Amino acid sequence: MDTVHIQTPGGSAEEIVDLAQVPSFPAVYTAALSPGRPRRRGRPVLPDTVLRVRGVHLDAARARDFDHLMGGPATDLVHPGVLHVVAFPVALSLMARRSFPFRLLGVVHLRNQLLQHRPVRVGETVDVQCRVRALAAHRKGWTFEAVATLHGQDGEIIATDVSTYLAPEDVEHTGTGGKTGEKKSSGSRRREFTPPEPTGRWRLPADTGRRYAAVSGDANPIHLSALSAKAFGFPRAIAHGMYTASRALTESRPDLATPLRWDVSFDAPVTLPGTVLVAYEDTPAAALLRGGGHRAGLRRRNRPAAERVRPRIAP
Amino acid sequence: MTDSPRDALILGGNRIPFARSGGPYAGISNQDLLTAALDGLVARYGLQGAKLGEVSGGAVLKLAGDLNLTRESALGAPLDPRTPAIDLSKACATGLETVLHSSNRIRLGQIDSAIAAGVDSASDSPIEVTPRLRRTLHRAFAAKTPVQRLKALAAIRPADLAPVPPRNGEPRTGLSMGEHMALTAAAWGITREDQDALALASHQKLAAAYSSGFLDDLVTGYRGLGRDQNLRADSTMEKLAGLKPVFGVSSPQVPEPTMTAGNSTPLSDGASAVLLGSADWAAEQGYTPLARVVDARTAAVDFVHGDEGLLMAPAYAVPELLDANGLSLQDLDFYEIHEAFASTVLATLAAWESPQFARERLGRAEPLGAIDRDRLNVLGSSLAAGHPFAATGGRIVATLAKHLHAEAVRTGRTQRGLISVCAAAGQGTVALLESVA
Repeated sequence: MDTVHIQTPGGSAEEIVDLAQVPSFPAVYTAALSPGRPRRRGRPVLPDTVLRVRGVHLDAARARDFDHLMGGPATDLVHPGVLHVVAFPVALSLMARRSFPFRLLGVVHLRNQLLQHRPVRVGETVDVQCRVRALAAHRKGWTFEAVATLHGQDGEIIATDVSTYLAPEDVEHTGTGGKTGEKKSSGSRRREFTPPEPTGRWRLPADTGRRYAAVSGDANPIHLSALSAKAFGFPRAIAHGMYTASRALTESRPDLATPLRWDVSFDAPVTLPGTVLVAYEDTPAAALLRGGGHRAGLRRRNRPAAERVRPRIAP
Repeated sequence: MTDSPRDALILGGNRIPFARSGGPYAGISNQDLLTAALDGLVARYGLQGAKLGEVSGGAVLKLAGDLNLTRESALGAPLDPRTPAIDLSKACATGLETVLHSSNRIRLGQIDSAIAAGVDSASDSPIEVTPRLRRTLHRAFAAKTPVQRLKALAAIRPADLAPVPPRNGEPRTGLSMGEHMALTAAAWGITREDQDALALASHQKLAAAYSSGFLDDLVTGYRGLGRDQNLRADSTMEKLAGLKPVFGVSSPQVPEPTMTAGNSTPLSDGASAVLLGSADWAAEQGYTPLARVVDARTAAVDFVHGDEGLLMAPAYAVPELLDANGLSLQDLDFYEIHEAFASTVLATLAAWESPQFARERLGRAEPLGAIDRDRLNVLGSSLAAGHPFAATGGRIVATLAKHLHAEAVRTGRTQRGLISVCAAAGQGTVALLESVA
């Protein structure tokens, strides 16, 4: 592990730590299980560390398996979901470090935004850099962004993947550290949700999480089986959010040859096995496609359906 | 409006490099390959979001679930999703038949534009269950009570569980295509040396077509492959002569087996697509037409009890095509005879040169005669490129159309080209193209 200190233009010092390779999920999760120090009261401080892995190969077989799992053809252009999957363990690794103020287990993926600046071909080699930023108070704790940038061999940024996480905390506890006005301004309020007319239906079998784990490497126990999920306090296994998002992206038939922006919000967990109704709304003039899913059978009047996945694609 | 239908013009083509079975496209499906070929065509011709008249396509080795293979592939390409599609199938002639289907639709004014495509993957060919297991399972699914279901399932025997790979051979004779061809080659006295020379020429011409840049706008790389994997630019007569015969080796009718892996096409994976349109549509879009589809004929032979060789149908279809268009074989400028085996091409040429074949088989006083061999498969053919069955037609059509156009521009004369493709079950499809300069 090499460490370099650099001075960013803004003046804050960033410490770049090079990892020899993309860390494996089991290693990261194991590290996350070990008890950390309890966080001190007051506003948490995100580390200035940048984790970097150089020379990451975007494997053609993995890209193919990913495409096939999402129900799409294996193209020579990498599914943006693969870019997230490549960066994700590096981000997790950063979040499993002792300098990170929150417990990794328990962190909830709220939103994801991926900007792909140019088409990415299978077999390319990229450098991955991850940092955390944008700490904000939330009515259930704190939110922050894990930002991964993928760089080509000429150093240019190919893609930027911003994952917004919620670190739940006792509100009163955090409230003592945060400014009073801060919480209200950033506290997200759930908008009224009227389920759209579905255009499709996903029947997700119990092994959905295991199949996504096989192509993504993300073997988080809450996704793998009801039993392993129970051990972490979930009644049933939960589908990977990025699986539902990636599948929706494939079904929206994006043109991967152009730059694109892919926005997703995860509004509720999809339990496995389960059925999700999906709907897509295409606005070709604006090159915009909205899609969403909600749990079947939850169309009670005046109640928002509990689950939404909303990929939004714009160039 | 005149009596004759309007022209169907070939505007261009795109294919992915052909791979050997089990090579770089292993684990890749027919739909993946076809989508890749369509993607490349869309990119080359700026067809993003275009609503075309129809996409026709097909595969020979096709999974049961791929019933709408072409439609599914077209939906995966960046075309307007309202572009209709159709799947066709006629063994190795599938690719040429999709071109003819699309050109007929255009000529009749039913559509203005089309993509004609074909794909095959020998690496991902269907493996089925035994007929006995299939019927047992259907009985079990239809059972009304659990007891009936158990009873049905109890009939399954271990042997029923063996997977059934695709049949390698003609169902009516039990002979493989190579074994059939070995009989025909022996009957026509096709020599090993002639076959090897034809194979060598195919490799050399295809290699030259790549190095001259001729294929730059016809082939788009896929999965790390930039050229046809089977191409051996450095092959020699000595290397080819060193290979052991593989077909006809146990047949009493073949005294001296001559067909080797070098002068037979390998099992391959690949896909091709051809863009067609009416003259008006081409002009609106600003495309330069390369050639028009003039005419086509099909024929079939009675091979089952040996009346004719399995792959000889084109020898019958071509004279019909020539007669219908008032042409002699020598009036053509270029000949594309699909190299299923080197001996297929040589036996077809021998038949056309034979007075006896003309008299007894074609009912003609004179044979069609010999062709200028320098005008045969001038940019290489299946022996070098490989032969993903349904993709071969599109490869030949796009290559020949571009070549006819280039030659017409160079010489200032209209160029005519013949395409001849043999197919399993004793069938053949042939077509006549003419340059548009």
